Amino acid sequence: MAETIVFEKAKERIEHIEDVLSSVAAGDLDVRIEAEIEDDLTGVEEAINILIEDLTYELKQSKKMREELEEKLSKIEEQQKTIMRQQDDLLELSSPVTKVWDNILILPVIGTLDSQRAQIMMENLLQKIVDTGCTMSILDITGVPTVDTQVANHLLKTVTSARLLGADCIISGISPAIAQTIVHLGIDLSVIRTKATLQDAMIYAMRKNKLLVDGKIKSENISETEESE
Amino acid sequence: MNLDLHEKRIPIIKIRDFLIVSIQVDMHDKLAIQLQSQILEEIERTGAKGVLIDISVLEMVDSFIGRMLSGMASMAAIMDAAVVIVGMQPAVAITLVELGLEMPGVDTALNMEKGIEMLEQRLANSEFL
Repeated sequence: MAETIVFEKAKERIEHIEDVLSSVAAGDLDVRIEAEIEDDLTGVEEAINILIEDLTYELKQSKKMREELEEKLSKIEEQQKTIMRQQDDLLELSSPVTKVWDNILILPVIGTLDSQRAQIMMENLLQKIVDTGCTMSILDITGVPTVDTQVANHLLKTVTSARLLGADCIISGISPAIAQTIVHLGIDLSVIRTKATLQDAMIYAMRKNKLLVDGKIKSENISETEESE
Repeated sequence: MNLDLHEKRIPIIKIRDFLIVSIQVDMHDKLAIQLQSQILEEIERTGAKGVLIDISVLEMVDSFIGRMLSGMASMAAIMDAAVVIVGMQPAVAITLVELGLEMPGVDTALNMEKGIEMLEQRLANSEFL
């Protein structure tokens, strides 16, 4: 009889353990197994309690980490957006076409040229030529360390397009490295007027301008008696 | 016959020694060919020394029109008349260059005023020679 009671009791406790485990599995981490009597099952019950305790801690920890990660991710996304915006700004700012004199535009290029930037540069310059009606433009590439085939091609295209609009385009400030590259790449820049420095280009443009305005020009030769500034 | 009635003719205006052609409509191939012979006939009839073609309203120039323009410049040149293309838009210029139609030998000017100036200068020079 007594054995049956003990058995019933044990069965009850095991059922209780099962209930607790199933509610833990369902996500309720606050339940614990209440042990009333000290016996062989108590150890198991306590072990389960400790496991639930550990599980709760781990879950909290991983939740915290996930939140931190999400926060960092959103921060990185924010930074990415800023970088993109600044890149756009840089592209916009990197091709300042300025009117420096009657009829003369200057586009100083600083930094490495890539295809995209060269394209934007070309569009800006051509638009400015049409807007201002300047017939002389100087493309100063003193600040450009190197060019590749594509960029050299773009420079060529810029000058040709400017000519189609009815404007002259001079390239100035070609560095030794760029000159070497261009010749090695086999690009023919002989159709383009190039000048050593921005100053030379400016002098040329102004002389030609003056001659044009006075209506005296007969050839490409420029007389030395003209003002140089 | 009906088609001919709807055909638009591009007016060619003679001012002093120059012919002024202002293209105000979208060019299609047939119109371009017609314009070409029209201009050449007009050069012969009037003895004009220069032709100014204003394409400032043309948003798009295809390779055919581009070739027509550069062809016309050579044709007019052997008839002793200079052709100046006036007021090309940046986008058009970029397209033509991308197409490889760089039109060597064709003179261009930013606007009509500069184009006339250019032709007058050329005329003055050639008279001098």
